[in-house]
Amino acid sequence: MKKFYQKYRREFSVVVAIIITFAFFGIMNPAYFSVANISTIITQSVTYGLMGIGMTCVIITGGIDLSVGSVLALVACVAAQLAKAGLPIPVWIALCLVIGFGLGIINGFLISKLHLQPFVATMGTMSIYRGLAYVITGGYPVLSVPKSYRNVFNSTLAPNVSVSVLIFFVFAIVMTIVMKKTRLGSHIYAIGGNEDATRLSGVRVVFTKVMAYGIAMLGTTLAAMILVGRLGTGDPSTGQGYELDAIAAAAIGGTSMAGGRGNIFGTVLGAILFSALKCGLITMGVDTFYQFIVTGIVIVIAAYLEIIQNYFLQKKSSKGAQKA
Amino acid sequence: MCMEKYIEIQHITKIFPGQKALDDVSFSVNKGEIHALVGENGAGKSTLLNILHGVFPASSGTIKIGGQEVHFANASEAIHFGIAKVHQEISVIPEMTVAQNLMLGKEPCKYGMIDHKKMNQTAQELLDKLHCNFSAEDKIGDLTAGEKQMIAIAKALQLNASVISFDEPTASLSDAEVKILFEIIHELKKSGVTILYISHKMDEIFAHCDRATVLRDGKYITTLELKNCTEEDLIHAMVGRDVSLFAKRTKPSRCDKNQTVLKVSHFSGEAFRNVDFELHKGEILGFFGLVGAGRTEVMRAIYGADRATGGTVEYNGKILNCKKPTDAVKAGIALISENRKEEGVIPNLPNMDNIAISSLRKYQKGVFVSNSMKADNAKRVGEQVGLTPNDPEFMTSSLSGGNAQKVILARWMSTDADLMIFDEPTKGIDIGAKAEIYRLMEDMVENGKSIIMVSSELTEIMGMSDRILVMREGEIVKEVPREEFSEDNILKYAVGGSTK
Repeated sequence: MKKFYQKYRREFSVVVAIIITFAFFGIMNPAYFSVANISTIITQSVTYGLMGIGMTCVIITGGIDLSVGSVLALVACVAAQLAKAGLPIPVWIALCLVIGFGLGIINGFLISKLHLQPFVATMGTMSIYRGLAYVITGGYPVLSVPKSYRNVFNSTLAPNVSVSVLIFFVFAIVMTIVMKKTRLGSHIYAIGGNEDATRLSGVRVVFTKVMAYGIAMLGTTLAAMILVGRLGTGDPSTGQGYELDAIAAAAIGGTSMAGGRGNIFGTVLGAILFSALKCGLITMGVDTFYQFIVTGIVIVIAAYLEIIQNYFLQKKSSKGAQKA
Repeated sequence: MCMEKYIEIQHITKIFPGQKALDDVSFSVNKGEIHALVGENGAGKSTLLNILHGVFPASSGTIKIGGQEVHFANASEAIHFGIAKVHQEISVIPEMTVAQNLMLGKEPCKYGMIDHKKMNQTAQELLDKLHCNFSAEDKIGDLTAGEKQMIAIAKALQLNASVISFDEPTASLSDAEVKILFEIIHELKKSGVTILYISHKMDEIFAHCDRATVLRDGKYITTLELKNCTEEDLIHAMVGRDVSLFAKRTKPSRCDKNQTVLKVSHFSGEAFRNVDFELHKGEILGFFGLVGAGRTEVMRAIYGADRATGGTVEYNGKILNCKKPTDAVKAGIALISENRKEEGVIPNLPNMDNIAISSLRKYQKGVFVSNSMKADNAKRVGEQVGLTPNDPEFMTSSLSGGNAQKVILARWMSTDADLMIFDEPTKGIDIGAKAEIYRLMEDMVENGKSIIMVSSELTEIMGMSDRILVMREGEIVKEVPREEFSEDNILKYAVGGSTK
């Protein structure tokens, strides 16, 4: 049990933070505890969560992906257009995922093969992908996506439980397995820890990084399709600034911006906390402007928590080393 | 020699949470002597130095310098008092010039702007004193590791310190640079500077130091007058048990001259030209040369870590063209890099993952990697290499140098590699671990593997190799068979005496 706690210390602290958040907003406004509100919180967290999971993957390699917001828009527009073109639904889903994956692969290629800085490379593609979204739509939202397509991502499984939540959790589980249980995942963690050492160990670093960026974009792609399902439109201007929300979810969940450390489960919790906070502020009737400030403060606190925990971790491990 | 006590360490104890790093250590250092501080890794040498330099305070006990009790709150107070340190690994800002680095924080100013002329002049004077063959206006990034070390020494000199401590200063220096370093140390001594010298190299200690204080497991053991004792005495005090200092082959050579494992022909790259050699099965082939002779670069190119510009490599009779390390690992070649920290250890992973990283396929069940198989492997191979603690969950980054190196060895022993390329395999690790690594190398050739060992330590390379190739300025200048091994013979070719 103690070992378990040590391993998931960070997750525990996020859970505690979630409980505190719920308690606080619940006391301020009992409506916060309503099933409808909790369902909203979870549903809202799906977007941050799916994008955040991908972001976690990329950050663990030691990189960053600023283009996810643009990809959200681009894939949403393409998905809407393809749906209106009347593709068979399975083909439609597969094609969208392939496109999203491909956009991520381009990021990964620029970074690992051409050795561009992740920040710069994805800043470039952020603009390119956004531009593409405007070009293919002429700048106008793609409206009235057929119901049958929307239902795939927008139906409810049970009252107040959207299928999107199921997609979120399934993706989280699959990604956890990929990160913890496959060679690809092990390589991703190793690269984030020490890329040179990993390369010299015989790991295909270029391939691994390209894959990480590709897989990461699958989360954003799913988020885009859920968005199209919910709204029925593909808006080329959507998702601006979402990359920051995704990074926030990962950071709150304990992913180290330096790479090499973090996990999917933490990000899922981070996304839920982030969403609980935003919904809470809305139910309290806090002005949007202040919402920005509060969320910012939470991110800063989370990052600082990371530093404190590292400090204690190091102290402990050095103690262990001396004992040995 | 002046016999006045200058530094008096009195009953120093340092307790880290849960552990006593220093336990009631008392000794004194005379003014103007070169005093060696020796002990295995973890003996407490660095802790003691850190207390002396004000990095952290002692838990109890006092330090007197020149009869005056001192309590430094931080490192800069110690520096102001005149206690300087030449670090083992120095931090420089690669984009700046030598002068800018040296004068950082104390740039001479004129009219509120930096007086570059004066700055360069002052720095150049300092470099001249050290007989450096680079200029104050050179960019630091363009210097070799050895030259950077000279800058660290220049930095300490500049402070006009009364005490200078050297922590493994020769680890990255070529022999020529080492010679200059000791000339400087002796000059300092003459001018009355007290010198503390930490090193693992016995020959240096005996050649240059006056006395040696031995620490073991945080305790003071003894202070020896080096004139009156032998290396064996000193080592015995250090380890408390007899470990043969010299790398020696304990088993007969396994070299099979009829079987060629690796044939390198006309191999060229950026830092080496026309390298030709053959490695036989079961052989330990030594590569000797000064720092910068191109040995590491040849190995990296064979391994695919760097690009070669020409020539061929045949491995077991087949042309091998490694474009990336992955290709080499697949072919069965391992490279143990000299930069353990930068190119070996993956700091965020525990031992089991650091060991498994090159052989993950072996622990797979379907597409999934089994944690328990990884842990079992780590435990088993960890046992073989004598890793302590042999705990698969232990973070490799928290291990001492010797144990971290054992983790790297375990990594490659977990693969099916048949050719092991060791680049400075015992750099910065203590004698006990060195001996174990030599034993493991012998086990490897015993098991039919072949070894290339790049090393700058003559005792080690002469003790372990079946044959030595000497490189100079990017070329192999001499092949020395075991019968002709002698320090003079090998060094002569490395520094370029008579052949050309």
